[in-house]
Amino acid sequence: MPITITAPKPVQHPYADHDNSMSDSDSDSQSSMGDGGNNYKNVINMIKSESGSAAAAAAVTKKSGASPTSHSEIVTPGEVITDDPQWMRGHGTFVTPATSAIISSVAGTISRTNKLLSVRPLRARYTPEVGDLIVGRIVEVQAKRWRVDVGATQLASLPLSAINLPGGILRKRTETDELQIRTFFAEGDLLVAEVQQLFADGGAVLHTRSLKYGKLRNGVFVAVSGMGGGGGVVRSRRQVWTMEAANGGGQIDVALGVNGFVWISKHVETPPDLLEKTAGITNVEESVSATMYSSQNDRIEAETMREIARIRGVVTALVENGLRVDEDMVMRGYHEAVEMAMLSSAGPDDIYLGGERGQQLAAALTAI
Amino acid sequence: MPLDTSAYGLALLRVDGRRWNELRRMHVQIRTQAAADGSSYLEMGHTKVMCVVTGPSEPGPRRGGLGGTASGGGASSAQSKDAEVAVSIVVAGFSSVDRKRPGRGDKRILELQSTISSALAASLHTHLFPHSTISISLHVLSQDGSLLAALINAATLACVDAGIPMTDYVVACTAGSTSTYAANDEAADPLLDLNHQEEQELPGLTVATLGQSDRVAVLVCESRVQVSRLEGMLAVGVDGCKQVREILDRVVRDKGHRMLLEGTVERGVGLDDMEVD
Repeated sequence: MPITITAPKPVQHPYADHDNSMSDSDSDSQSSMGDGGNNYKNVINMIKSESGSAAAAAAVTKKSGASPTSHSEIVTPGEVITDDPQWMRGHGTFVTPATSAIISSVAGTISRTNKLLSVRPLRARYTPEVGDLIVGRIVEVQAKRWRVDVGATQLASLPLSAINLPGGILRKRTETDELQIRTFFAEGDLLVAEVQQLFADGGAVLHTRSLKYGKLRNGVFVAVSGMGGGGGVVRSRRQVWTMEAANGGGQIDVALGVNGFVWISKHVETPPDLLEKTAGITNVEESVSATMYSSQNDRIEAETMREIARIRGVVTALVENGLRVDEDMVMRGYHEAVEMAMLSSAGPDDIYLGGERGQQLAAALTAI
Repeated sequence: MPLDTSAYGLALLRVDGRRWNELRRMHVQIRTQAAADGSSYLEMGHTKVMCVVTGPSEPGPRRGGLGGTASGGGASSAQSKDAEVAVSIVVAGFSSVDRKRPGRGDKRILELQSTISSALAASLHTHLFPHSTISISLHVLSQDGSLLAALINAATLACVDAGIPMTDYVVACTAGSTSTYAANDEAADPLLDLNHQEEQELPGLTVATLGQSDRVAVLVCESRVQVSRLEGMLAVGVDGCKQVREILDRVVRDKGHRMLLEGTVERGVGLDDMEVD
């Protein structure tokens, strides 16, 4: 992604709109012209008097936070949110031992749940919650578990006991499985899973004990920002769905991980002959699981690949233009992108959705 | 070219036309790199630095050592209870007047790295992220004095952008004195925010404070100066840090406000609505 550095703005006088404490030093510099500029001792005295009490320092902070020039809905690190002891501190805040003032520790907006005050950061890494659907990548294989990168502050762990083993859901885990742990997932494999449990320190435990979850293949991976804040993928009713692609692309699966990792792949039907042979639901799982841990891609037609790439373009365009990514937006964005491609000279092969075309797409989506 | 300090007494103007208590122009930007967890770009006069923060994240199985980084904030082991703050600084070959290629493990760079690392580790709430690493990568694009101050400010901003909880901004600034150590001039004035020329000739120090408070986080003085002048220099430096904090804070607020207008973040509860319940 590009580095954006804008040209400096016109010179602004540093003291242009400071409050009292700063205008003191301003007047110093005025008088210094007359008496030899030796008035820095005033500054020393001013600083000494300020440091007299912690309460005074806190008052200064509060004053600057609530000054009319600042945008009151944003709080920044070190800003006193309230010194009323009735409130409880939540995430993104801290209290100093001496006072009961609640101080923000991140830049963001305040959210309130009854008496609990917390600050939602403008942007942060994904923080796992139980029940989240996530897409992750295996980074390490250990004796009885995998370590999975899910874009959080810590690696998540996927125990061997939390996956569907080939040969039926009710099969007992054996030592043989432990020895051939790499045949299920190896380093670099992508998987879709659910957060089962959280540790006190914020680490997550995943599970893939459902036919919806498991190893990913036949598709493309996109990493955008997740639920940490600042747009990107949001928690919604449905994170995984199958859609009918335009231009003869067949069916495409989309999995929006709450952590901001997205997987777009060709939809693979369970072969009908397997369904006929087996009656019970456990038997279906048994037969499906035979291909479950395969890393071999199926044959994918060029049309399907093109439509997968178009959906990927829609997702990145949504994020670049600060729009939320969910099923509704992706579907509408995709239909819009197909129409845009129809109008262009290259026809359906025109899948470029960056830059101006991305803005055009975003404008069309927000206009409705 | 030696700095002519004799002219200062006449007009009370420094070589670049500033008065004793004026900062250079600061141009600050956050979120310059969308793909990074946090990023910032900062200019203090002609000193230009860029910062990228990755993490907090847990490193996978280590392949070899982390070359050229200094870490602070707890043991470097992956099992520590606090996050590790790893800082790496790259000085571009074209950043100063004479082009030189710094050797591997330049002692000055190592010292800068460990200073920044320990200063930020003290302010960042590293205890919230056990077994993880916050890696801060700084690039110096242009040097014109006050390098350490610019690096600290850029690193703080990038950490704010990355949404890493911290006690307060760590803001830094330099201060000097109008005459050299050898002149032994008791009446020398303190100066704020030294440029390269002043830094070469005059005694100076770098001070970093914790936001609005007077708590000093970093104090580096590499030149000889009479102790009687030190108090004045320190006071001016601390005052400068407060001005720098205002500038940085305004940039963060502007960015947050723009994100609110774009609808990227949800609107929060206003401070005024607090009393209603």
